[in-house]
Amino acid sequence: MTMSRAAMIVLIGGGMALSMAMAGCKKQAADGANPNAAAPGATPPTAQHVDGTPHTDAAVKAWQGAGLTPEGFAPMTPVPFGAAYCEQGRVQAIDTVVCEYRDQEALGRGKTEMLEQWGREGANTAVAFQTKLTLLGVLDRGRRDPNGKVMSQLVETFRKL
Amino acid sequence: MRRALAVSLFALAVASTTPAVATHVVRYVSKHPLPKKVGRGFCYLTVPHVHDYEPSDPRLYRQTDGQYYFVGDPAPFDYDGPRYSFYGAHPVADVDVQFGTPTYCYLRGPHYHWYAPPPQAQFELRGGAYWYVGTYDPVYYSERPRFVVINDAYTPVVYARPVVDVRVAPPSFHGEIVAGGPGWRGGAVVGAPVVQAGIHVAVPPPPVVQVGVGINLGGGPPAVVHDHGNHRGWDKHGRGGWRGPPPAGGWRGPPPPPAHRGPPPPGPARGGGWRGGGPPAAAPGGGNWRGGPAAAPAPGGGGWRGGPAPQQKKSGGGGWRR
Repeated sequence: MTMSRAAMIVLIGGGMALSMAMAGCKKQAADGANPNAAAPGATPPTAQHVDGTPHTDAAVKAWQGAGLTPEGFAPMTPVPFGAAYCEQGRVQAIDTVVCEYRDQEALGRGKTEMLEQWGREGANTAVAFQTKLTLLGVLDRGRRDPNGKVMSQLVETFRKL
Repeated sequence: MRRALAVSLFALAVASTTPAVATHVVRYVSKHPLPKKVGRGFCYLTVPHVHDYEPSDPRLYRQTDGQYYFVGDPAPFDYDGPRYSFYGAHPVADVDVQFGTPTYCYLRGPHYHWYAPPPQAQFELRGGAYWYVGTYDPVYYSERPRFVVINDAYTPVVYARPVVDVRVAPPSFHGEIVAGGPGWRGGAVVGAPVVQAGIHVAVPPPPVVQVGVGINLGGGPPAVVHDHGNHRGWDKHGRGGWRGPPPAGGWRGPPPPPAHRGPPPPGPARGGGWRGGGPPAAAPGGGNWRGGPAAAPAPGGGGWRGGPAPQQKKSGGGGWRR
């Protein structure tokens, strides 16, 4: 059975177009699950620290004091997980997020959302731990800390803030 | 050209079937052993967390609110944190974890946990270990057939158990005393068995005094078996624990008498000591049997009243070493 060259080109082109369209759908779906993605036309919430609860810089200083090496902490825009303010960075190469909330209810929802999202992303280990109205999220994606010793040190230091 | 078409279609099929994300999340309450697929050792996270793997052996865990809590002895899993010695079954007294209902550790004999019981808990520190001297909740008995299998999980594991002097067991200890078991190294100091209030010694005379790490007491029967008759069908001679009728369907024996304070049931010793059913009818008033000794211990004999040591199978772990 033979197929004309023109038909072949049409078929391959169609396949590629379909692939690209599906990839676009996936990206859209992923963006939909990503709390960082702002809704079209929506104004991203303004990131503001919350008084009366530990801020990221305090956590970073505490980790440094405990002999850890936090690096690259920067504000997240738009602010994810329903928080008022979030920063993300890495500690001993482990992804770390610190978010501040205005109330306990929002923090509870944010905590659940954080763990659910990381579960969908296939995290090997994840912790969401709160001190006052600040939520610490630690995420090990590559089994860098299989015994959880670094993560445990992170949490225990944060707990004392 | 046909090949290009095939490659294109294959790529399309792969692109349309590959899942975007993994979704497997397992929740843990606290520290726990790592499964082999992840590596050796322990996860030291003491706060609730999630992993992408299930527990290596569910017999070592309890589930509370959908989260796994490791209830076993961490020692055989390369655990290098704090450890405290316990003897026999006891309520889980980890102050960092709240259970909705009374939750018990069913490990026999000497074992470790990473927690010490809080001061208000009814434990006595004697002979190098914490002994639970309170009253077992009825749930202890009702759940025992289900959870006592944790001992089977430890049976093939040879590791150093804590050294505990069972001769000074608290009189109010209601559990069973065993002086050795499959896979044990070190462990209880067994000495000459003694009879104390509420504790019957019903075993062949064990090695005179065994101490510490490196001496394998294993292979033979656990030395003393008794928990005041609340274990119908429970026979510890030999490996593996349960030798009675199939435990399916849960605990079918009589409920534990709540307040038996009388002496143990009279009557002749039956071979390996008293293994009968429950003690005489309960008297009102709470508490467990706190009666006097079953019989006066034979002078110098340490209270051994059983028959000769049962024949031990030579296979699988050796016999008693005197």
